[in-house]
Amino acid sequence: MHPFVKHLVNRTMVMVITLFIAFNISYLLIRAIPTSAVDAMLGAIAQLGQRLDPEEYMRMRQVLLELFGLSGSPLDQYLTYLKRFFTLDFGFSFIVFPRPAREIVLRYLPWSVGLLLFTTVISWTLGNIIGVIVSFVKNRYISGALENIAIVLYPIPYYVFSLALIYIFAYLIPIFSLSPATMPAISIASLWDLINVVFHILKTASAPALSIIVISALGWWFISSRTLSLATMTEDYVIYARLRGIDIGRIRGRYVLRSIMVPQVTALALALGAVFSGALVTEYIFAYPGLGSLLYQAIIIGDYPIALTILSLSMIGVTLATWFLDTVVYYLIDPRIRFAK
Amino acid sequence: MSTSLKIYAFIKIFKSLFKYRRFRIGLAIITIIAILSIASLFSPPQYKRWYAYPKDRPPQLTSIDMILGTTTNGRPVFWIMVNALANSLYIGLLTALIGSHAGLLVGLLAGLSRGKTESAFILLIDSFIVMPGLPILIVLALALKQSMTILTIPLILSIIAWAWPARNVRSITLSVISKDFITIASFSGIKFFNILLHEVMPYVLGWHLTNFINTIIWAIGMETALAVFGLSILSEDTLGTMIYWVLNYNALFRGMWWWLLPPIILLISIFVGFYLISVSVSSYLNPRLRGGGQQ
Repeated sequence: MHPFVKHLVNRTMVMVITLFIAFNISYLLIRAIPTSAVDAMLGAIAQLGQRLDPEEYMRMRQVLLELFGLSGSPLDQYLTYLKRFFTLDFGFSFIVFPRPAREIVLRYLPWSVGLLLFTTVISWTLGNIIGVIVSFVKNRYISGALENIAIVLYPIPYYVFSLALIYIFAYLIPIFSLSPATMPAISIASLWDLINVVFHILKTASAPALSIIVISALGWWFISSRTLSLATMTEDYVIYARLRGIDIGRIRGRYVLRSIMVPQVTALALALGAVFSGALVTEYIFAYPGLGSLLYQAIIIGDYPIALTILSLSMIGVTLATWFLDTVVYYLIDPRIRFAK
Repeated sequence: MSTSLKIYAFIKIFKSLFKYRRFRIGLAIITIIAILSIASLFSPPQYKRWYAYPKDRPPQLTSIDMILGTTTNGRPVFWIMVNALANSLYIGLLTALIGSHAGLLVGLLAGLSRGKTESAFILLIDSFIVMPGLPILIVLALALKQSMTILTIPLILSIIAWAWPARNVRSITLSVISKDFITIASFSGIKFFNILLHEVMPYVLGWHLTNFINTIIWAIGMETALAVFGLSILSEDTLGTMIYWVLNYNALFRGMWWWLLPPIILLISIFVGFYLISVSVSSYLNPRLRGGGQQ
């Protein structure tokens, strides 16, 4: 067998087993939540004024439990959910009852994935470009100032920053609205509708997007690309290249940027893999209709189907990202990794 | 090495760290924060009671109770703040003590084991890394809500905190072990445990120190995140629960800046202070970035 194929097979097996273990742990944890959504639902039915015989009540409870895969012994329930995990179809949701969990998740998915894909790519590009440029800037004041700003921004979690942002831009200078975002029925029948939808998305997403981009572009990505390029510039091969009199632009592009791309692309792929869990706190603070806030609602109510759908999605996202890195990307961008035929 | 020599070495390291401006600034911030949190020992007993003071008062310079005003539940912001600082620091430190050391241990074991044990370690570490941290913490906090105290929160946070350090320690261990001097040491007949202690540990410990500081930052941040959802211990004051009550009483839109700003400013200064220290420690430990004269 070609060594690359062997590596591919190995890596895929590791991915599947990792996912399996992670699913089991999260299933156990989710089932440890003491709230029972079925009983809450029956309570709601009883409150509607329906008179139920105890016998009928129990029968209804049984039907609901079966519907959600919660009847039978713990082992049976586990097997039901394991089966559902492999098809990624966890059945009906509790929150929006007769709808399947998958449908609800798919409705929230574009909001989170759109927001996080956009902010991650923008801030990665910005941070890397600024980081490499600053390492070569002769003017110490500019690079020093940028670095100091970044060092202050870097360790702040973006939800703490978004609180500060809300204070400034919703209270002191009211630009953003903080009314809970509704999801409009997206119809793009006419141009006017399209403009309306775009405007609505911009209005909802710009504040959370800003809080994520500022922190991660100027903090995280800038700092990591700057530290990496500073460390690379003291490497022997770069010093040797300088002594040989190679053009500084060429050193920057071919010698420094190329070699810091390996860890930076790794981090980018991991960040992209993580978009499926949403930006939980930011979504909650800004009342943004994303996967994070849906997951939070689902966990609070005890809606296993929705919670497990989102958790599985995000775990699959991260494992796929690392799998992709290990099998494909490193062989394209890292010249040190080559398979002997 | 005798004790006095050890102390001497420690003072020497501290002196060379002190040459970094970032270290001095970070240390100054953390010192101020530590002094403020020590002030919590002098808090008057009635500060914990609701409506023990007039409510919604802006800051007045009349007494130390009113120096930062009062909250909507009639409690002095200053005393809440210093107690919150002490509790948050405690949560951060304890999580770092448990979580980062568990990570160190698992990482070392994973890096040193071979064959089936190694694969088992990798799978365990990877499956914890794959799970999204905050949602899992929310689930844990909900499931353990009854038994949540200021003591158990660090334990809950540590369940998530060990995985990343374990992975990093493992890769550092692997790269050190493949170096020539380890082979030479083991061929010279030095015992495995001594190689681990004297050859491998110095490399790992440097990274472990910065990770320890970063875990403090992470834990304080995570407790805040849990508290935003009302899932921290709301009967105790932490920087997170302070933010929770601020949000709960809509202090933001009622213009009560004296209640809102202290937790945000303190959180940011804790993060920045610890981070500055960790940056200077890691650049001190990296000889290439350290600058001349100290090889």
